[in-house]
Amino acid sequence: MANTQNYQDNTPASMAPNVQPLKNPTPVAKTVDSQSVLKRLQSELMSLMMGGDPGISAFPTEDNIFCWKGTITGSKETVFEGTEYKLSLSFPTDYPFKPPKVKFETGCFHPNVDVYGNICLDILQDKWSSAYDVRSILLSIQSLLGEPNTSSPLNTQAAALWCNQEEYRKMVEKLYKPAV
Amino acid sequence: MKWSSVLEPIKAWIKTVPLQFVYVLSAYLGESVSYDVPSSGPKSPLASHNPSFYPGIDIPSKGLVRWQLRLEYFAYETLQVLRIGKLFEIIVDYPDSCPAIDDLKQCLKYTGQHSKLVESFISSIRYRLLTAGASTNDILHQYVSTIKALRMIDPTGVFCEAVGEPIREYLKGRKDTRKCIVTMLTDGTGGNPIGTENTVDSLLEELNRDEENQENDNCEDYFNSDEKQAWINAECWEPYPIETDPLKGSSTRRKTDILGMIVGIIGSKDQLINEYRVMLAEKLLNKSDYYIDSEIRTLELLKFHFGESGANLGEMGMSLDFLDATIISSNFWPPVQEESINLPEPVDQLLSEYAKRFNEIRTPRKLFWKKNLGTVKLELQFGDRATQLIVAPVNAAIIMHFQDQTSWTSKDLAVAVGVPVDALNMRMNFWISKGVITEATVGKADDYTYTLVDMIDSSENGIDNASCEDLRSDEEGETSVASQEQLKKEHAVYENFIMAMLTNLGSMSLDHCYRNLKNLSSYDKSLQELQIFLSVFVSEEKLEFRDGMYYLRR
Repeated sequence: MANTQNYQDNTPASMAPNVQPLKNPTPVAKTVDSQSVLKRLQSELMSLMMGGDPGISAFPTEDNIFCWKGTITGSKETVFEGTEYKLSLSFPTDYPFKPPKVKFETGCFHPNVDVYGNICLDILQDKWSSAYDVRSILLSIQSLLGEPNTSSPLNTQAAALWCNQEEYRKMVEKLYKPAV
Repeated sequence: MKWSSVLEPIKAWIKTVPLQFVYVLSAYLGESVSYDVPSSGPKSPLASHNPSFYPGIDIPSKGLVRWQLRLEYFAYETLQVLRIGKLFEIIVDYPDSCPAIDDLKQCLKYTGQHSKLVESFISSIRYRLLTAGASTNDILHQYVSTIKALRMIDPTGVFCEAVGEPIREYLKGRKDTRKCIVTMLTDGTGGNPIGTENTVDSLLEELNRDEENQENDNCEDYFNSDEKQAWINAECWEPYPIETDPLKGSSTRRKTDILGMIVGIIGSKDQLINEYRVMLAEKLLNKSDYYIDSEIRTLELLKFHFGESGANLGEMGMSLDFLDATIISSNFWPPVQEESINLPEPVDQLLSEYAKRFNEIRTPRKLFWKKNLGTVKLELQFGDRATQLIVAPVNAAIIMHFQDQTSWTSKDLAVAVGVPVDALNMRMNFWISKGVITEATVGKADDYTYTLVDMIDSSENGIDNASCEDLRSDEEGETSVASQEQLKKEHAVYENFIMAMLTNLGSMSLDHCYRNLKNLSSYDKSLQELQIFLSVFVSEEKLEFRDGMYYLRR
């Protein structure tokens, strides 16, 4: 017997920040009952756990499934290799029709992250689609680390330094404060 | 008939025999005076009887009506006691015993002693059904019949739940319950080899029925269907029996949906679907033809029934391609045992050619062969004699090597086939037992010599037995789809949960960890089991345990 492998599986690269919404663009729903949001979040957690992607992880905080903590590690062969960043994800009550609010909790020296940890990433704003989930958000942020969009930076200093990777690496190491 | 209805005959008899007697007696004693005040004053409800009911009596007296009611009640009560005592047998004979159940229902309506029924039935179930000797299949069948029978007596399902409780609990403790249920769901025969002609119990039947119901619903006016349904529901509403324990369960879960209750035993739909997946995989693997209509139908029914929540089913990506082989997307397959073997060169070439073609026709899909699975039909020719066999691919690969070279040492052959020597020796036993190969066991296991039996000897060695044998299950208890694997995978998921918890939330107490797992996943183990699970990670130095808290080790 045999089985088939779809090409579209297992290609996290396709989650890169400039990706177009995948499929079935969000039908605008006016009311979403919290029960279905809860279910959705639960199943996202489950699929995240089943997936077991290395370098990204997230979990709901104590007693509030709308509020998650996430962790991503810098990809290999980028200036962020060996670093680990904490994130906070807070889901709106009409999730997944609106994107969650995602912030860096650990300071991150990056062109598209400001000093407060706010992230400039299209899929978290106008390019959001309900086809995205926690896993794709985390993977997108992880790939954003290595491939910043330096044309519209939040952190101009970082954007300016990006072209000099060696210096940039030093800066990352200098500013990196791992969570205890 | 054994369980024919007796209630009506009894009632008729009461009117014709004992009541006549009472009538005569009361007339003799001169007490039948009440019938000369029939229509004055407030009318008693007892007085509204139709006189024609009483053969030989013109107008019934109040006394007589009272006697009738008393006697009837006595009959109801007696019959009820008798029927409850035999309820177990009645349900075994369901649906032939429908009249008896109807009688019982009537009796209970008058006597209202439902709790007696529940008590006595539970005790008889405990005594007769829930024993180690009863097969899981039988218990399940009895359970289904019980649900159906009790549904007749009490459409609200309260008793069903009470009676079903011990059965469900018991079944949860049995290992093969899931498998049996899935078999019942998918086999039209109900998985019972003895009662094959009796498909009444089949759960597949239930699935079909459900679908028909749904289809009928769809025929109705689309927009009004909700209101209409609500109206219909309201019309057939019946109050819950007085015995309903208000503490037990909310009114929302009063279903008499058999599938729902069966699935309830398994725990969750996901688990059912998983089991189904394993079974379907095995079925498909052992198929040598491509007739899978019945499988598709069952799958569609399951999808239909479990709807959205059975997301897994959808993910199976039932893109059944009717190419030459039955091909299903990789999302579907449960973990299967991987075992690499080297197929003989010509076969291997054919397979890769096939895969290449597949990729050309169906880009972007790719075909990967699982070379150790499935079956091989092969024909062995010994001079003028030919034998047809259906064997596992490994065995086929082995025997093909003897085509060019009639004698092999186990070491060389193992290398050629690509399996360990021990495994090879085990596999060789198959061919030796067929009389195709002889073995010279001198020295160590590495140096056994296998020689192809000469065609001249073949008749003596008894190769000319059945011309086509089905011998794929040469190793007992070996299943290609590993449930064990699945268990491991489940553990891996919980490990991921624990790691993610600790990565993102820092330290955690055992209680907290347990609560999180319970709330956020379908964790069904006990606190103690979790503690053991965690202690394994501590000993593997993945976690650290200090001051009652678990930490991730970095």
